[in-house]
Amino acid sequence: MTEGRLFRWLRPWVFPAVLVVAFEWYARRAAALGSDALAPPSAAAKAFVGAALDGSLWQATGFTLGTAALGLLIGAVLGIALGLVLGLSRRAAQLGSVSIEVLRPVPSVALIPLAMLAFGFGVRMELAIVAFATFWPLLVLVQSAVQQIEPRLLEVSRVLGLSARERAFKIVLPAIVPRLFVALRLGVAVALVVAVTVEIAANPNGMGYAMMIAQQSFDPALMLAWLGWIGVVGFAVNAGMVLLQRTVARRMGAMP
Amino acid sequence: MQATPFLRFDGVTICLGGREILSPTSFDVARGEFVCIVGPSGCGKTTLLRAASGLVTASAGEVRRNGVTMTEPSREVAFVFQDYGRALLPWRTVEGNVSLALEAAGVPAAERAPRIADVLGKVGLAKHAQKFPVQLSGGMQQRAQIARCLAQKPELMMMDEPFGALDALTRQSLQDELARLVRDDGLTVLFVTHDLEEAIYLGDRVIALQANPGPGRPSLARMIDVKIPRPRDQLTTKEHPEYLQLRRELFAFIEQGHD
Amino acid sequence: MNGNDRAPSGLHWLGSFAVLCALVALWWVASNAGWVSRVFLPTPQATFASLLEGLNLSGDSGNGELLAFTQATVGRMVEGWLLASLFGVVLGAAIGVSPAVRAWVQPTLEFIRPLPASALLPLAISIFGLNPGMVLFVVAFGAMWPVLLATVHGFAAVEPRLAEVARCLQMSRAAYIWKMGLPNAMPDILAGMRLALTIALIVAVVGEMIASQSGLGQAILLAARAFRASDLFAGIVLLGLIGFVSNALLAFAEKRLLRWQQP
Repeated sequence: MTEGRLFRWLRPWVFPAVLVVAFEWYARRAAALGSDALAPPSAAAKAFVGAALDGSLWQATGFTLGTAALGLLIGAVLGIALGLVLGLSRRAAQLGSVSIEVLRPVPSVALIPLAMLAFGFGVRMELAIVAFATFWPLLVLVQSAVQQIEPRLLEVSRVLGLSARERAFKIVLPAIVPRLFVALRLGVAVALVVAVTVEIAANPNGMGYAMMIAQQSFDPALMLAWLGWIGVVGFAVNAGMVLLQRTVARRMGAMP
Repeated sequence: MQATPFLRFDGVTICLGGREILSPTSFDVARGEFVCIVGPSGCGKTTLLRAASGLVTASAGEVRRNGVTMTEPSREVAFVFQDYGRALLPWRTVEGNVSLALEAAGVPAAERAPRIADVLGKVGLAKHAQKFPVQLSGGMQQRAQIARCLAQKPELMMMDEPFGALDALTRQSLQDELARLVRDDGLTVLFVTHDLEEAIYLGDRVIALQANPGPGRPSLARMIDVKIPRPRDQLTTKEHPEYLQLRRELFAFIEQGHD
Repeated sequence: MNGNDRAPSGLHWLGSFAVLCALVALWWVASNAGWVSRVFLPTPQATFASLLEGLNLSGDSGNGELLAFTQATVGRMVEGWLLASLFGVVLGAAIGVSPAVRAWVQPTLEFIRPLPASALLPLAISIFGLNPGMVLFVVAFGAMWPVLLATVHGFAAVEPRLAEVARCLQMSRAAYIWKMGLPNAMPDILAGMRLALTIALIVAVVGEMIASQSGLGQAILLAARAFRASDLFAGIVLLGLIGFVSNALLAFAEKRLLRWQQP
């Protein structure tokens, strides 16, 4: 029986391992023929260790994660607040609908030059764009979560004569917590992707920028190391959020 | 009974997940017979039906149709599922769903339309041919599924509690429609139901299975012939002395099984 | 929600538009009165004028550049998206239809899912150099993943009852894929294609920015560097419009194709 379990543990790694080996073979051949566009995974691994040891890995990762988190905080707080209001008040939702539909489709990357102009390079510029990008999905999802609260519960709050504040904290917020965490999970994913994208496009800080610099200084090994690391970080953060979201859902009785 | 019965269950035993769901069961079905299978939940009646249609393989024993052992589903054996909503293609209209059976059988496109119209007329859905399943009531969806099964021109029709999820009035009208269809087309039907009255009303024969019969004892507990004349109807048949007698018998038997 | 769920009446639309106008008015005051420096916040009039000039709608002084840039960006986005959808569906169907293939390949797919599509740009530049083909490649490759993943999911999740019906009717494998797998996966595929469109737009813009390819992405970057705020805003407005229209068209198509879902 342990054979079966070992097999199931190893199986997810077989396909990527095959890809890595194939890539290693191909990149070595290409390098032998004089191309400096690619590097074999072994060289990338070396470059990765080098960056980890000299601190540049942690500094850039810290910047990206920190900025993404802060931007998400701002975007989420505003998005949740407005989402609550629009979800609870039908009139407000209708009044705001056109404005939201007009502003929402603007791609966050389109605001990069504007943020550059207003804030220069650095944390604030990236923060602003991440906040903008995460604001919308959170607004929409929280609004929809509030609108889908069991109407019976809201009637109960009226019959019991709860104040607006009591209603918000005792009924509305607990009722939307599972869906709120789904929204936050999405928000985290968006925040990370947008942060890295801003760094690739403009901001001379963080993981995306480190990868761009490596490519521009013809260091394909380091570039690939960063690409792989960005993938790993993204995967780990998302996996962590899934775990968190599921734990919360189970605690709040939304899912078995 | 002819030398080779149309359908023969020969010591059919089914084990699933280590448990014996159905103990060795043997009986014959003649062509054109309407056989109802009843029993408490867990007695294996649905499993028996699925084995007969090839959806499940018997662990021991075999099911023979016209002398040939059945191991795989065949187009000549139609299956009407209980959860009709999930057995219809939601993205096709009623017409499209019926057409699926004809497409699978390789019927050329030109012939399909008249056959679909014919079969929809038989189940009374001619006016709803262009509707999607989501737009139909439960009874109509079940009729659509029956229409698709009829389009297969089957020899044998398996029905797994087809009216179980419907309200009483719809159930009654569908029972009568089914009886008429079966008589008109001369179909052989195996009909599983938990409703004893329905079984007596519809069947030529009622087979009662028991759950957990114990080691060495068969699942098949009783076989009763229903000698009430046809055509039957909801009002008079249910006051027929034979009906009342059988009803009493079956109810007592089932109660006994519960002790 | 709270009882009445009538469709919004004309009055409600009017009120909503009024709110939008109020926001525009706020913008007008903020920039004209200098509350926010006109370096970052051009006046609505200036923005509008830039739009007209750029789109060659203002008679003589326009140079029509914005129109060409818009076409370039939209072209990249649509081409990349079509390629992405095609490959995504074909590959996704091939993977999704076989539980065996899925078991080996799915974990790798899940790893790639959170990767930002734009992160492939440096690698692509390394391999292909700075040219339009490179950007198109990354647009298509990046936008393919949501479609592929959605297709795999759609094919993997066929209602088991329908699979049994296919067995009862003795449908061939090809017929099963075409008549059951694909329509069943349609809602997922369309949702994936919608996501792919937003990614295509984003990567097209970023690609233009860093690879100096002619398009709205490069245009707004240059406008910002030259402190031409009204041109910058005009470009942003156009990008927002592209996003809005493409999404609306796709949502409309989705509704038509998924008509069978409405009771």
